[in-house]
Amino acid sequence: MVLYDSATLAGSSSGSSSSSSSKPPPLQPEQRQDIDGHLAGAGYKVRSSELRKVAQRLERLETAMVNSPADLSQLASDTIHYNPSDLASWVDSLLSEFPLTPTCPAEFVTDPVTNQTVVNDAWTTTETNMLLVPQNVSYEQQNLNNQLTVVTAMEEDSGIRLVHMLMTCAECVQCGDFSLATSFLEDMQGLLTRVNTVCGIGKVAGHFIDALSRRIFQGIGGGSINGGSAYENEILYHHFYEACPYLKFAHFTANQAILEAFDGHDCVHVVDFNLMHGLQWPALIQALALRPGGPPLLRLTGIGPPSPDGRDSLREVGLRLAELARSVNVRFAFRGVAASRLEDVKPWMLQVNPKESVAVNSIMQLHRLLGSDPNRNAPIETVLNWIRSLNPKIMTVVEQEANHNQPGFLYRFTEALHYYSTMFDSLEACTVQPNKALAEIYIQREITNVVSCEGSARVERHEPLAKWRIRLTGAGFRPLHLGSNAYKQASMLLTLFSAEGYSVEENDGYLTLGWHSRPLIAASAWQAVSDAPSEFPVPDTHRLS
Amino acid sequence: MVQNHHGTVGENKGKRPKFFINDHVDILIEILKRLDCRSLCVAASVCRLWCTIARNDSLWENLCFRHVSPPPSSVRSVVLALGGYKRLYMGCVRPVRSRLGRVRRASWARDEVQLSLSLFCVDYYERLGGGSNSNGRLVGESSPSSLMFLCKPMNV
Repeated sequence: MVLYDSATLAGSSSGSSSSSSSKPPPLQPEQRQDIDGHLAGAGYKVRSSELRKVAQRLERLETAMVNSPADLSQLASDTIHYNPSDLASWVDSLLSEFPLTPTCPAEFVTDPVTNQTVVNDAWTTTETNMLLVPQNVSYEQQNLNNQLTVVTAMEEDSGIRLVHMLMTCAECVQCGDFSLATSFLEDMQGLLTRVNTVCGIGKVAGHFIDALSRRIFQGIGGGSINGGSAYENEILYHHFYEACPYLKFAHFTANQAILEAFDGHDCVHVVDFNLMHGLQWPALIQALALRPGGPPLLRLTGIGPPSPDGRDSLREVGLRLAELARSVNVRFAFRGVAASRLEDVKPWMLQVNPKESVAVNSIMQLHRLLGSDPNRNAPIETVLNWIRSLNPKIMTVVEQEANHNQPGFLYRFTEALHYYSTMFDSLEACTVQPNKALAEIYIQREITNVVSCEGSARVERHEPLAKWRIRLTGAGFRPLHLGSNAYKQASMLLTLFSAEGYSVEENDGYLTLGWHSRPLIAASAWQAVSDAPSEFPVPDTHRLS
Repeated sequence: MVQNHHGTVGENKGKRPKFFINDHVDILIEILKRLDCRSLCVAASVCRLWCTIARNDSLWENLCFRHVSPPPSSVRSVVLALGGYKRLYMGCVRPVRSRLGRVRRASWARDEVQLSLSLFCVDYYERLGGGSNSNGRLVGESSPSSLMFLCKPMNV
């Protein structure tokens, strides 16, 4: 089990700071070493086995420093500290400088959780020193300080404990020990009541607890969550589009790449793997309308799930897009292809004209084609083959930058916990309701699918861009650089979202959008490598920067 | 500056006729064309003539493209089709420009307008639909909201 060691230290030593700043850093599923890896990176040598003790000492030290009436400058000037990188003895030497030994805040925490295997033993075996009141500070004020420290420490503590328990529960699930996992679930539900579930770790933990209980009690078939109607999905998608910039970034970046690829072509055809409301295409239509040389003839083929109640939602979207195209004088033709799964689509359904330039657009769809069965031919290969046979001028691929397709459940769970915590953090910047609430439900469905489903029910098989590059180059595609216009546009779009935290990065021709240096979504462009001997002019691979 | 009619008549004995700007609409338009958004809105409340002139879309076109090298003429037809320059300015260009103000670079002026145009187009598309589909949306709202992240209530 991974220890949240450095986070415990960080959280403990800043007990009076706001809880939002003490978010636990991303876990790394690294092996247990004697010297803690995180702190070693910061220059401190602490043994992993001693971390809890050191944490407790640091807390005591902080309380002492806060409550001490004496001038602390003597700590800096008079005392000599040997070997400060050895954190354990350094803290001990500092503590010995203080004449009083105030009570450790942990004493106030009555441990409600009965399951002893997870709880930090150090919390329950504190020395019960009586609080010696310094002369200058009144007892009530001292008590209040301690209580304030206790409240925030307790909440952070609960949050960290919740994560610990989530990891342990996931491990039990992986081992098949469902009875133990169930008892963990109950404990976690209890712990949830003590944590702020409106924001932060409590909210994310709540969703993961839900997903785990689905897995344990309803099995891995997915149940009702996957059967959400297409109509519901569209609504949630729309709110997700509005609440945070990920989809806008995806659309604008893909549009820019498609626009540049269509430069000079008069007959163009775009294939959209997931039409939804067609929100991506107005901007492209407008950009084509205004391009120097006039707009081309634009054909759009939109793929989407069939609508159950007789409404032809694809056609309705097509009509709206056609009306917009007519207003701006772009010759436009629309075709809808209804398919419940992307692998059911056959190339002849798209009716591609050999004379036109084709662009294939996939926003978070390709990962659904990855199967977990290594023996069978995954649908992705079939689909990539027929895409290649269309010889598209460009294929834009936007995918979640996450590793959620590993066979091992615990690893997947950990990765998902990081990824979605970061995503929920970024969602905090959005204040517009009901967008935010519905966007969260959208994300929650993804979480549930990643955690509680297996086999064909699990469609959210995210893979990082590095893996997609290998897969796509192996299937006969070659990367196209996205260029500086796309990057500039993405940066501007980001600035509009007046939330300090989003970051756009450009790496080797692809763009990623992330929250605070953790990339969450990656956009890239591809072109099919032609098999025929090049009697055709070699297309340029570099966009001017 | 608007002068009182009566004042003009009363003092018109042997002095040069006072200048009354409302008699010279072309000059008035030239002046109003150079105003910034806030002043233009204030000017619109002066009198009916000024209000009519200020509502004229070509003034707002000037506002949008003031710092940009002259755009191709096809832009006008597109913008007019999507709702007009005033709507473009109030809904997109102004919030975009104010948000990007801190990272202002001269070369970005054109890109700002292009981004505003794209956002404007998405907004028009949403207004077309009157909601996501003809059955109404789940939450019952039908107003377009893709621009809400710009967080300026539109008052066109």
